[in-house]
Parts: sequence; structure tokens; C-alpha cells
Amino acid sequence: MSENGFAVEMRAITKVFPGVKALDDVSIQVRPGSVHALMGENGAGKSTLMKCLFGIYEPDEGQIVLGGRPVAFAGARQALDAGIAMIHQELHPIPFMSVAENIWLGRYPTRNFGLFKLVNKAKMLRDTRKLFEDLRMEIDPKTWVQNLSVSKIQSMEIAKAVSYNAKVIIMDEPTSSLTENEVKHLFGIIRKLRSEGIAILYISHKMEEILEISDEVTIMRDGRRVGTYPAKELTTDLIINRMVGRDLVHRFPPRENVPGEVVMQVEGLTSTNPRSFRDVSFDLRRGEILGLGGLVGAQRTELVEAIFGLRGIKSGEIRIGGKRVAIQNAIQAKRHKIALLTEDRRTTGIFPVLSVLDNTLIANISTYIGRLLLLDRRRGEGDVRRSVEMLRVKTPSAATLIQSLSGGNQQKVIFARWLLTEPEILILDEPTRGIDVGAKYEIYTIIADLAKRGKSVIMISSEMPELLGMSDRIMVMCEGRATGILDGKAATQERIMELATQFMS
Amino acid sequence: MKRFLFALLVLAALGSSVFAQPKIGVCIYKFDDTFMSYVRNTIETAAKGKATLSVQDSQYDQPKQNDQVDQFIVQGMKSLAINMVDPSAVSVLIGKAKAKNLPLVLFNREPVAADMAKYDKAYYVGAKAQDSGTMEGEIVADYWKKNPSADLNKDGVLQYVMLIGDPSNTDAKFRTQYSIEAVVKAGIKVQKLAEDTAMWDRPKAQEKMAAWLTAYAGKIEVVFANNDDMALGAIEALKAAGYFKGGKFMPVVGVDATPPALDALEQGFLLGTVLNDATNQGLATWELAYSLAQGKSAATAVAPLANAEGKPDPKGKYVWVPYQKVTKDNYKQFKK
Amino acid sequence: MSNGATGALKPRSQVAREFASKNAIVLVLLGLVVAIGIARPSFLNPANLVNILRISSVRAVIALGCGGILITRGTDLSAGRTVGLAAVVSASLAQRADYASKLFKGMPDLPLLVPVLAAIGVGLLVGLLNGSVVAFLKVPPFIATLGMMVIVYGAVSLYVDRPPMGAQPLGGLREDFTNIGTGDTLGIPNLILIAAAVALVIYVLHNKTRLGKNIFAIGGNPDAAVVSGVSVWRNTLLIYAIGGLLYGLAGALLAARTGGATNNYGNGYELDAIAACVIGGVSTSGGIGTVGGMITGVLIFEVLNNGLVVLGVSAYWQQIVKGIIIVVAVAVDIRKYLVKR
Repeated sequence: MSENGFAVEMRAITKVFPGVKALDDVSIQVRPGSVHALMGENGAGKSTLMKCLFGIYEPDEGQIVLGGRPVAFAGARQALDAGIAMIHQELHPIPFMSVAENIWLGRYPTRNFGLFKLVNKAKMLRDTRKLFEDLRMEIDPKTWVQNLSVSKIQSMEIAKAVSYNAKVIIMDEPTSSLTENEVKHLFGIIRKLRSEGIAILYISHKMEEILEISDEVTIMRDGRRVGTYPAKELTTDLIINRMVGRDLVHRFPPRENVPGEVVMQVEGLTSTNPRSFRDVSFDLRRGEILGLGGLVGAQRTELVEAIFGLRGIKSGEIRIGGKRVAIQNAIQAKRHKIALLTEDRRTTGIFPVLSVLDNTLIANISTYIGRLLLLDRRRGEGDVRRSVEMLRVKTPSAATLIQSLSGGNQQKVIFARWLLTEPEILILDEPTRGIDVGAKYEIYTIIADLAKRGKSVIMISSEMPELLGMSDRIMVMCEGRATGILDGKAATQERIMELATQFMS
Repeated sequence: MKRFLFALLVLAALGSSVFAQPKIGVCIYKFDDTFMSYVRNTIETAAKGKATLSVQDSQYDQPKQNDQVDQFIVQGMKSLAINMVDPSAVSVLIGKAKAKNLPLVLFNREPVAADMAKYDKAYYVGAKAQDSGTMEGEIVADYWKKNPSADLNKDGVLQYVMLIGDPSNTDAKFRTQYSIEAVVKAGIKVQKLAEDTAMWDRPKAQEKMAAWLTAYAGKIEVVFANNDDMALGAIEALKAAGYFKGGKFMPVVGVDATPPALDALEQGFLLGTVLNDATNQGLATWELAYSLAQGKSAATAVAPLANAEGKPDPKGKYVWVPYQKVTKDNYKQFKK
Repeated sequence: MSNGATGALKPRSQVAREFASKNAIVLVLLGLVVAIGIARPSFLNPANLVNILRISSVRAVIALGCGGILITRGTDLSAGRTVGLAAVVSASLAQRADYASKLFKGMPDLPLLVPVLAAIGVGLLVGLLNGSVVAFLKVPPFIATLGMMVIVYGAVSLYVDRPPMGAQPLGGLREDFTNIGTGDTLGIPNLILIAAAVALVIYVLHNKTRLGKNIFAIGGNPDAAVVSGVSVWRNTLLIYAIGGLLYGLAGALLAARTGGATNNYGNGYELDAIAACVIGGVSTSGGIGTVGGMITGVLIFEVLNNGLVVLGVSAYWQQIVKGIIIVVAVAVDIRKYLVKR
């Protein structure tokens, strides 16, 4: 491959952002034909490091050596040409174009037509088919990307990376929105790429996955490298220990909540969308954590958003405190003391260009109206300061724009936002998605504490340990229907899986 | 039978009173043009009880006007009075009219003489746009000669600024050019300090004038404007700079003789303006179209015929309606 | 650290950076003033500078109305024509009783407040219509206000086009009315005082009220605003209504300043206002914009308008220079967002 035997080497990389040293003297070496995992809490610098490698950021100090030659990329395009590809956590394909067009975007094969160059569609389709065959992917090159599942889009992105003849492929949280089967399929592709000598840089929070797929693991903390270890020598506890720099004896906090009387009853709830949830019934008790399990596509998000008034309900009813309610929008939901933390923080959670202060107060802004219809700024700032302290939000100030915080801290701000509305029922849709282990524990503590104080919690989670570790009861859904409600203590992964796949062939 | 005959007679009587009124088709290039609405109102008033008019709004769209003319021909109009959107496109209209031997009276927007020569029953009623500029210049020249104190720096040269309407508009070009030519013709030396376009707009003119008053403080001796709105904008800027108080005066001239301009004349702010005579333009158009619709010769109409250059000619195809100078001596007769 | 703790948490470098980026556009303005002043010292005459401020005052009122709408990711193409409508309405109600060509013959002198309130009223009405179409019918703001722009022009033409005069310019305005636009109070032009008061009110509205917080949220992320229980329709309706109200006021001020009105008043002002807002750092993708920025943007525009004439730049070159300045100013301003990525 090269003189020193590494596919890519990053030497003593330092990157400073105004006010923050994002990377401090970080070095990694990646062998060809290996999977090299990067782990660390959010804000540890993994993504920044990868963006330096991919030419999106220019490192302030340090050197990148690719195949034995020092390189400096002025942009992603140059990195791609040099054989480095990146599969981003959030995929941004062009929905109304075909798979083939997306793959060859900006470098369509052409043929000459007099003075003009025309796109050679036949060759493009041929090349795409060959690409998919080699990677054993089953995607129709002609279909619109709009019609593909997230997992297929990801496969497409990987194929695109391969089509650049990439020697190094960076994958940033590739499994965050995949089902278990899809993850297996992805791992199959990764192993195949590895066998062909491609180096994979793999960022993930999921320990089990890392231990399964990677050869080496580099652990980062606070912009520094803690160390690089052969995956065989690591265990979940060791990784956590090195990531957070302290021992986490328990993954979940002890819970002292005592479920009380029923506060909400849902009966025969059916969506206006025939392909969404139907005939769902359950009840929720005071001080209870009700887990909501299922696979992607089980319509759990749709169900809770309908309860919150964001989606249509065709039939069925919801009773709160014994009284039937008809919630049409978030404003009415708030009036019924319901809060919803949505699944997709970026599209429906944060206001990126607004401050932490404004992001915290927005759902509760009416209560700060003081004299002359003006907002009581001092009270608002006080509440935000207390929230920031209580939830341990790491932010330079309340005036900082939320977009510059890490995912975990953004999520805490949204927690703070909803806690200020003093809800009785909290609906949490994947509350720890994309959040590092240390912050996860803090969020679990918050949830447990809320339940202890008599709040009722509905928590959607796709992570089995989280469901089992946090729930008093677990309702499992499959294809829009509730397939069973399990007692938290008696439930097992196998039983949940069984219910989650009940209607699947 | 008797009853039937009686009915026929009644019908004939009714019909004849309608048929006795010739049908005339009129197109206006756009209805929201101030001046053209004066002309239109004059034609409509004059036609009452004499002819059946169909007046169409061409909405500043020549193809639309062509369609309207086709419609007129189908409806059996006896003559057409057309205020063209785009006078350079006249040959199409002439072709249509000629095919049906329909008299065609064009007005206010002038086609080139070569096109006019293509059809013996094509006439034009309008004002000589150059004259509006010339008269503006004559008002200024007149004032300059009577008031030696107007030459502020006593250099014998008239220093002026010019507010242009829309640089791509023919009227604006003529007014800019001929106003100055008239001053020069009167034997006065001129010097242009600045000219700028204010798009016929009063606020814009006010803003430009204010800037000039800064750039050429005390040097400006006359303000020319292509229309009254801009002249009035300039006057507002001058007022803000202390003019028209305590004997400090600035001659400002415009064109159009709008009511606010006449008001400014009355109050002594505006030196003069030029009236584009909507009433007489409307009347001349009406008379010509009406005579031709009845099959009479054009020469029987009241307005004198002339040739393209403006010389009287009984066989000519042009009716030139003169502009009129409006100053504080005669403004009262134009107040409506 | 109990007082102003939020400010104290901020690292000094960030404060400095924010200060610099916030003031970049002010520096552009000062640079322009100094450059033009050096080339043509008469530009710096107090009378000329006051005149620029006076012209800017009307424009600022329009820009402040438009800016709030831009913050919600909206736009308002009807702003200019609404200013025209309001100018005509107020002028028609403020003509001298003895003026021969009055639009409303025989109407006595009305209290001074009537033409002003009428202008504000018609503006508000247009704004409410815009807001309703955007908020309830969900028509994209560009289209909704484009339609309104055409409708308002039709309405104002109908209003002034009365036989036998046709669409006449309105003149002969009462002196107490034009005094609003040309007079002083305590040595300060009335227009500047009014614009300053409007700016203060809008500043408070944007920064200290629920409506303000909500419009920034709606512009910052409309989906998140819905989930957070922000009433999108109510705030949308309100911000368009406030915009309309300000255009109405601006129309009255314009008529008062110029001493007349025609149905063509305000033509193109919406684009000037949007350009001024964008120069002043208002993001057309929503959620970002300050009152100070909007006013600075207007001042840059009017300094250019006046300065280029004072410098004797030809009309065509003025257009080219203004276009370049718009693009360059935004290109400079947008740096601060690009650096972060």
C-alpha cells in the first residue's frame, strides 16, 4: 500500500474554533483492510477530526498522510478525488432524481454529440448495476431516491463512495436509523469492503456494534486521543471507562418511582392515515415510565404525535384525568399538561439560529409576560440559568446559539424547554438518540427523577437495554398495532422482539 | 296582416334610429394613463347621442390591441380610432383596416410617416412632442430675459439642472432636447450642471434635487423637469432648502399642467408648465372618426388638416393639436 | 454572579467577535460617508446629512415593517404599492378646502389625525389580508404578496381615477399636514422623531415581547415552532398586519414630505426595503435580523442614493454601483455564518 503500511495517517492534528480547542494534538493511523472505530462522548472531537480528514475543515496544525504522501485538501471534492469518501450521519440525497443520477452526480458519464456533451444514460445505468452487483446490493438504479428506505439510501451512499475508488471510507453513525436486520446487512457490506483492502473509519456510540465490527478502536475525550486499542482487548465497561474518564458502575440510575392512579387512558386510537397506527389502547399511571418498543416503521412516533395533536385521529378516544379530550394542536396539548420531545431534534426540535435562552423559553413564553405585555427578562434568565445548572447543559452562555452545542446538550435544552411548561405527562421520542454515554446517564437520571416526582412518562426507544432498564411497563408495537404490554421487570429482549415482529412475514 | 306591417314599421323605426348612429371602435393604449383618460372622457362625452362607441383598454399590450381591432372589424365598425401601444407596429393595423377599406384614425402616439403613406384612409391626431420641450424652453428664455437677476453669478450663462422622466421614453428625450434648444435659439448661453432620471416620480425628483442643492449650492439658476410631478418634487426640495421665502426664488418648469401644478403656479412656486391639450386632442379625434364613419371627407371635420411636418394641407393626413404654454398670466383658464 | 450572569459566562473572544461582526455593516456605512465626504466635502453639510436622514426615515419605517416579515421566512412584495395607496388616501383627505381640483369636492378640512389614521388603517387592512392569505390559505408569501401588490395598485388607481379628471396627481395639501413631513420639533425634523419612535417600538416588539420571540422561532424553524406550541397563524397574521400598519404610516409620511401623491407612489419601494434589510443582516432564510441592522441598511442605501448624485455619477452608473453594493454587502455580511461550518 505505502511505505509505512498505513492507508491514512493523521499526525498531531490541532484545530481551534473561537473559544474552543476542538482537537488537541490528535494522531491516528489506519491500516488498509481494517475497520477503525472512533469513540468518544459528543463533543470529544470525532466528527471534527473526520471533517479535517475529508477536507471540510483545515487543521490549524498537524499533517495528513495518505498512502505515504502528505496531503492538504481544500475541500471535499479534492478528498474524494484522492480516494477518501464520507458517509454522513444525516444523508442528503436529491429526492426527485434516480439512484443512478444521485451516484454519478456532478460526474455523469458523457458521450460527444457534435459540439455538445450529452449524458450517457445507458453507461450510467450499466455502471450502477455493476456497482450494486459487486456490493451485493439490491437497488433499482432507475427508481427515485424519494422511494427508498433510509437503509437503502445509505447503501446507495456507500456504493457512491466505492464508485470513487475510495481507499478510505468514513462512516459517521451509519446505524443510527437502521433496524437490526439492516445493521446486519450493512456489516456484511463493510466486511466485504474490508476484504478488498479498503480502510473504514467508523464513528458510533453503540458499544456492541463497535466490538462486533471493528479491528481497532481509538477513544477520544475532550478533543484529545485517550488511546488506540485492538477491539479484542476491549469490553463495554472498559470503553465507557476510558470515554468518560471515570467508572460508570451502573448504566441506569436506581429508580424510586411508584406508579399511582391512571392519569391517561387511550382507547382504540386509529389514525386518519390508513397505513399508520390503528386500534391502539393503553393507560398511563401517575409516576410511571411506559416504554414504547418496536422496530422502525411500527408507527410509534405517529402514535405519540397524534396524542400530542400533531396528527389526525380517525376514531378512538383519549381521556385525561377521566375526562375525554380532543387535542388538535400543540397549544392544546400544553394546556393538558403534555410535553413532547420529538425524535428528530434538528427538524422539529431546535431553533438553530436562536440562543439557548430563547430555545429554552419558547414553549413557555406566555408565562413570562409581565407589565405592558413585555416579557419579564430577569425571571426568564433566572429560569434558564437554573435549568442549565440542573440539567448540566454545557454552554458558554445562555446567549450562545444552540447550533454550536453538541447533540446531547441540545437535547438537554429541549428537556429544559418542556420541563418549564410543568407537564404532568412527558412523551419522549428516542430521548437519547445520538447522545454519548455520560450524557445518556444524566438523561436517564432526569427521567427517573421526573417519575419519582409523580410525572408520567411515555418513552419511545429503539435500544433494548434502555427500554428494559428504564420502563415500568413496555408496550410493543408492530406495523401500527399494539402487540402487547409487558411488565418491565419480567420483560426480556427476546419477548420484545417477538412482539415487535408479530405481524411480519 | 296590418298588425304585421305595423310591427315591421316599428322595428324599422327602432332600427333606423340605431343604424343611423354609426358604430366606432376606440382603443386606448392603457386606461390608467392620466392624460389618456382626459382624452377618452372627451371622446365619450362628444359621442353621446351621435355614435355608438366601443372603447377598449389595450392594457399596454399591442397583441391584445390587434385582437381588439379584429373584433371591431367583425362587429362592423364604421371607423376606428386607435391610440397605439407600440406605434412602430402600425403596419399590421393598417393592413387590417385597408383590407376592409375602414377609415383609421390614429391618435396621440405617432407612427412614422412611411407607414402612414401605406393607406390613404389612415389619419393621425396628436401633438408635436417636440413642441412641449420647445415651449418649456421658451417660458424659461422669456423669464431669463425679463429678470436679469436670474443670472445669479452674472456670467451671462444660464446654469441649469434637468430632471428626466424615463430615458427610454420618446417624450422624455424630446422634452430634454428641445427645451434647451429653444433657450439656445433665443440667444442664451447655457451650461448643464447635472441631469438625472427621476422616472416621472415626485419623491425621486425631490431626492435628486436635494442632492443637487448640496453639490451645486448657489449655482443652479433654472430647474427643467420633463413633467409636473418631478417639477413639484424639485419645488419641495427647494422649499426645504429655504427657497420661495423672503424673495429667494428658483425658476422651475414642467409639462402637463396638472391640477397640483396649476395650484403651484397660483402660489408662485412653479414658473410655468405646458399643457398637452387633451380636450382638443379628444375632440379632433372624435370629429375625424365621426366624419369618416359617416362616409364624409376628412376635410369636412372642423380641425385643420396638415402634413407630417406641420404645414397646413387640405389633403393632409395629420391633425396637429398644439400644446399651450401655461404661466401665471393665463393659468386660470385651465383650472377645471 | 447573580446579576447578568448570562453575559458573564461569555468568553471575551466571542464578545469581541460578535461586536466586530455586528458592526461590520456600520463600518461599511461610515466608510461610505467618509469616502463620499472626501471626494465632495459639501456632502457632509449638516443640511445634506439631515436631508438624508429625513428621506431615510420614511424608508426605515417601511423596512422595519418588512424586516419583521422577512424574519418569519416571509416576504412582502406589496409593501411599495401599499405605501402608495396609503399616500394617496392620506393626501386625498388632507387637501386644502380651497384647492380647486380636490378629489372630494366640498369636503371640509378634517382634523389632522384623520388622514394619518386613514393611511394607517388602509395599510393595516392590506396587512391583515396578506397575513390571512399566508396564514390561513397557506399561500406562499411571495405569491400572496405578489398578488396583493397588483391588487393594491388596481385599488389605488380606482381610488384616484374619477371622471372627469382621470387618474390625477393629488396636490394642494394642507400645510399642517405637510408640516409632519417637512417641519421640525425642538430643532429635530419630525420625520426623524417619528422614525426613531417607530424603531424603538419595533425594537421592543422584537426583543421584549412574546410576539417577537415567536416570530424569530417561526423563522428559525417553523416545524419546531409548531411542536413547541407556538401559534403560527396568529403570529404570522400579526406580523403582516404590523407590516401593513407601518407601510400605511410611511405612506402618510411620504405624502407629507413630498406634498402630494399619485397612484405611482411607492413603486419599487418593497425591493429597496428588502435590499436594505438584507444589507443590514436580515437573513432571508429566516430567524435572524436586528432593528439596528435594518436601519443601517436603509442608511447605506440612502447615503448611496444621495452620495452618487452629489458626486455627479450618471443615472445608469448609479444603478450599477447600487447593485454591486447590495451584493458585496451581503457577501461580506454572510461570512460570519459561513465561517462556522
